[in-house]
Order: sequence, then structure tokens, then C-alpha cells
Amino acid sequence: VTPSEGVRRGTGRILGMLESLLALGGLVLLRDSVEWEGRSLLKALVKKSALCGEQVHVLGCEVSEEEFREGFDSSINSRLVYHDLFRDPLSWSKPGKALPGGPLEALRALDKRTGSGPATIALDSLSWLLHHLPCPILCQTLHALSRQDSCPGDTLPGEQVRVLGLLHEELHGPGPLGALSSLAQTEVTLSGTMGQASAHILYRRPRQRPTLQTQWFSILPDFSLELQVEPLLESQPPSDLHTPSVDPTTHLTFNLHLSKKEREAKDSLTLPFQFSSEKQQALLRPGLGQATSHIFYEPDAYDDLDQEDPDDDLDV
Amino acid sequence: MAAAGTCGTGTRSTGSMVAAASTNNVTSFQRRGPRASGADSGCSRLVSIAGTRPSVRNGQLLVSTGLPALDQLLGGGLAVGTVLLIEEDKYNIYSPLLFKYFLAEGIVSGHALLVASAKEDPADILQKLPAPLIDDSYKKECDEDVCSHKMEPDIKMKIAWRYQLLPKMEAGPVSSSRFGHYYDISKRIPQELIETSKWHGFFLPEKISSAFNVESCSLTPGYMKLLQFIQNIIYKEGFDGSNPQKKQKNILRIGIQNLGSPLWGDDICCTENCDTSHSLTKFLYILRGLLRTSLSACIITMPTHLIQNKAVIARVTNLSDTVVGLESFIGSEKETNPLYKDYHGLIHIRQIPRLNNLIYDISDVKDLAFKLKKKLFTIEHLQEGGLDL
Repeated sequence: VTPSEGVRRGTGRILGMLESLLALGGLVLLRDSVEWEGRSLLKALVKKSALCGEQVHVLGCEVSEEEFREGFDSSINSRLVYHDLFRDPLSWSKPGKALPGGPLEALRALDKRTGSGPATIALDSLSWLLHHLPCPILCQTLHALSRQDSCPGDTLPGEQVRVLGLLHEELHGPGPLGALSSLAQTEVTLSGTMGQASAHILYRRPRQRPTLQTQWFSILPDFSLELQVEPLLESQPPSDLHTPSVDPTTHLTFNLHLSKKEREAKDSLTLPFQFSSEKQQALLRPGLGQATSHIFYEPDAYDDLDQEDPDDDLDV
Repeated sequence: MAAAGTCGTGTRSTGSMVAAASTNNVTSFQRRGPRASGADSGCSRLVSIAGTRPSVRNGQLLVSTGLPALDQLLGGGLAVGTVLLIEEDKYNIYSPLLFKYFLAEGIVSGHALLVASAKEDPADILQKLPAPLIDDSYKKECDEDVCSHKMEPDIKMKIAWRYQLLPKMEAGPVSSSRFGHYYDISKRIPQELIETSKWHGFFLPEKISSAFNVESCSLTPGYMKLLQFIQNIIYKEGFDGSNPQKKQKNILRIGIQNLGSPLWGDDICCTENCDTSHSLTKFLYILRGLLRTSLSACIITMPTHLIQNKAVIARVTNLSDTVVGLESFIGSEKETNPLYKDYHGLIHIRQIPRLNNLIYDISDVKDLAFKLKKKLFTIEHLQEGGLDL
């Protein structure tokens, strides 16, 4: 049962972490750092794909082939197709033995090789490739790798090529990291606390909102994954040091709360700019109440009483 | 609306003088009058093309962006001959929607389309366009929505009574115009509409040969090829008036997706000081020149959040005409802010062009938010929803 078939069949079944990482297809970016290394997770994913019967191609650049194959049993090792760039990256030895043309040709060869059926390509690592190739070219090649050319429209996730890339995020600036993140369908950032590793997984399903998930896990020596519970933080601040909180609304010199009568009075008040019908009547018909207000005006010596000519008092 | 007949004058509605297609003239100033060529007796009216209308403010010919709310914010629509730049949101979920609305509006109005992308095949993009809504079904949608969240009618705004007088965003279809249409995102556009439309696609991995030769010219090869393609289409199909005897005039809508991303071969998103830092700005400059001399409008989505050099973003903004930025709340701390709980993100209108004008056409409202409902993408004033006094 391939992981994607499992997705299609058992919608009620909770997927394991490895299966859900592999199910989406496309580019799976594993970002690790010095404290929390990602190669073991990469090997766990490779083992999972190999156990499901898929073709697995590994482009090894950082570690030797023996070191990569270490820990896998023979059935998995027989399914792994290893392309070695570590031993002779500049192909100085006699041609035919190492891959000619450098890393770009190696990537393109991978693209042509996986014509039939679902396949998984593991790139160990993308950081090495980023240092040897210009970033846009690497992005374009990765995009071509993870696309399925022949199938139009929606391709089933099972038939797509899955590219697993290991990226050491401390080696690169925000530019290449952002560029590769925008290409990736799934992005796993490894971190952890107190000896327990965690993975922050971001799923970018097409046409859907991205979902973020955090899983605590550990990888066993035979490269299978075991999920862990989130460790409790022991260093919590002791709660008895809390000072009793003071209520600031007591002992005020003004009134913050309204009684029922006061609230009624407030609601029934007509605000000055509100145009109610009483106001309209009062304006249209100046009633008796208007007679009580007078304006007393005593003109000064310099006051101009003639409204028509404003310049009357000028001595021009 | 007057029938869209062929006018013998070939008057450009942008008001510019006739392009220098004729090399015999001594000066470039020409009277805008009836030309000798053409069968008609020479009408100097503005050309009426389906799906366009003149702006009430400055007489520019406008096309709809596909979202009537966005049209209203941009002063009636997008002017023909200009570039609309959409700054993508972080996870690129909402900017493809605006892109698709623009293209769908083109199909429904009968315009020609040119779709360029480095990520997706243009044929696939066209298959996923939203279906247009007829007026009555939209009204039903609107009413359903209003009933679903009923605000308490008792709490009127007593103290902030001025807010009641603010103009509301146009959320319903304007009955009299055939200018902007509404679309249903959950449905795909019917296949017949795509087949009857005229479209050209540019998919970068097919056009670029597999031998990656780093050329020494200042434009990356992807941009160069795209510009040549656009120029070719404009010339061949006669959008720049080069074949006046052809059929009646039409607008070319150009859509370029994810411009500036590494998939176009541009490393402006990858490094801060890159060698080809002028490639993108030169591309925009040449593109704008092509657009100004033809009857076309262009929408570009660009991942500006990835561009490392902030000066480049400022240059790109100056080189585009209308710039709209999308900011989604996913993954940011604004997601939990109660002020923004009804919305999915903010829209920033960063720039509006001054075309034959001395003043800008900016609307008064600055705080706009968008919301992606199941079938519609709506833009609203932020304060309408959550005023709590």
C-alpha cells in the first residue's frame, strides 16, 4: 500500500507522520540545523518509500555511499539507486565512472530516468547543490523534476514524483530559503527542546489554506519513526510568587457603573445632533418658550452697523 | 451603448497622437482628424469596444478587472495601456484569484487573452477560471449572506452617527452596466466559453531550450522571450493599429504570473546584490512601452515578499501603473486579532496612476480588508463589520 493509496482509501484513519509527509507529492523540504540534524529523517522517509515498493533514487553529495546505506537492511538497499556525487564531484577520474557534467547534468538525468510510475528522489543535500548551482537554475530544475508532464489537469498524488530535499538552513540567507520554500509543497523545520526533536510541518495543498502542524518524534536506529508526546516544560515560574492583583476600579472618586435609573435616563436622552420630530416641530414653529431667550447687544464705537457696505468705516 | 462598429479614423482612446507608423511626416504632431484610409466617412468618435467604457473622470478607456469592488477602488477600472501589479500574499493563495478574475472577465467580454507563466501550463490556468454568475443568482447569494449574519438592529450608531453617512462598498451587481461581472469561484468556467475565446499561452519551460546558456545581455532569457512573444502577438493580431483593415478592434488582456520568481530565471528573489538586478526593471519598462502603443491591459502578480533588496521593490512600484498589495493573515499574529476575525487579509492600494491628470484618483478609504467566501471574493471597509462603541 503506497502512502497515497492509504490516503485515498482510509479517510478516517490517522496517517502516520511519514505517510502524510509523502502523501502530498511534489517537493518536500527538510530544513535542519546543527543541533537538530535532518539526515536521519531523510533516511526514514527513504526507507518508508522503499518499503512501499517505489523506486527510490538518491543523489548523494555530502556523505559517502557507504555512510548513506548504513543502517538499511539489504531489501531496502537493493531498491535504492544511488547516484554518487560525493566521491568525485568534478569528475577528475576517468570518464564513465563518475557522472559527467556536474550536478546539473545529474539532476537532469534524474528527471529523464523517472518516466514510469511513482518514484521518490532524495537530494542529499540541497545546500550542496545551492552552493554549486545558481539558485534560479536549481529552482527551475526542481520544478521540472516535481511536475508530471504528461498528465493533464489534476494528477493523482500517487503517480507524481516526490522530491525530498535536505536543506541546512544555517548555511543560506533568507533569499534562497524563501525561494525554495515557495516551491515546496511540504516544508518541515526541525527543532526541539531538551533532547526531544520536533518537526514543524507546513502543508501547502493546492488551492487550500496552508496548515501548520507540530509533531514531536524520535528516530530509532533502524530508521523508523516513533512519535512522542510533547515534553512538559519543567522550568515554569512558581505560581505562588504572584502578587495578589489589585482591582483598579475600587476606591475611585468618580462613578464607573450606572444604576438602572441612570441607564434609563441616558438612553432616553436626545443627543443634540439627532433630528427627532420634536426638534423639527420646535424649529418650524417657534413657540412661546422662545420668548424667554433674548440677546442683549450694545454696539461699540467702532462697530459697523451697516451690513451692506463693509468698508464704510475705512477712511479712504 | 453604441454598437461597436469599425471607425475609419483609428483614433486612440488614450488621447495620444497617432503613432509614428507613417514615416513621411516632418513633425510628430498631427491633427486628430479623419484619415484617408478606411471605408467609412470618418467618424472621430471614441472607439466603442465591448467590455470597455470611458472613465467619467478623465476620459480614459477602462476595462474591468473582474472584481467590481476593485474597479471602484481603482477609479472605475483599469485603464487600457497600463499595468496592474499585484503584490502576492505570502502563501500565494489569494493573488491567483485576482489573476483568474481578470482573465475570466476577458473571456466573458470577448477580449483576446495572453497568459504567461513559468509554473503552470496556461491551458490549465484557463481551465480553472471561475464561472460567470447571472444577475439573479448573484442576488440570491447576496441575500443568503446577509441573513446568515444578522447584526442587532437595535444598536444603532448613536454617538458615531457620521459613519452612517459613509458610502458603502458596491457589493451587488450594478443593474445598468455590462462592465463588470460576478463570478462563482466554486464552479469552473464552461468549456464552450474557453473554446470560443481567442487566447495565446506562453509557458516558459517549453519556450526555453534545455541548454542553459548564460547570455551576456542584461535581460534574462526568459524575459527576453516573453517580450518577443508579446510584441509578436500585438503586431500580428493588430492591437497596435498596424493592420487597420482588419476586423473590429479588440483589447488584448495580458496576464503574467509570478514574475520575478526564480522559476523565470531571475535571481532577484534569491540574493540581495545580484548581477541581473536590472533585468526585472528593464522588462517592466519595455513592457509598459509595448502596452502604451497598443490596445492592451496587463496584470502581473509578483512575489514581492521574496525580493530581498527593498530598493528594487520601490523601482518596480514606480515602473508599474497601478499597484495593489495583498496581505493575508495566515501564519501571522493578526490571525488571532479580534479586529480581523471576519476577514482573511488586508488589501493595500499602493499606487494609482495619474493618466492625463494632475491629481490622483484615490478613494478616501484606506483600511480595506478582503474575505474569501465559498463562492465570492469580497472587499470591504474594515470598520463596517466591527465598530463596537
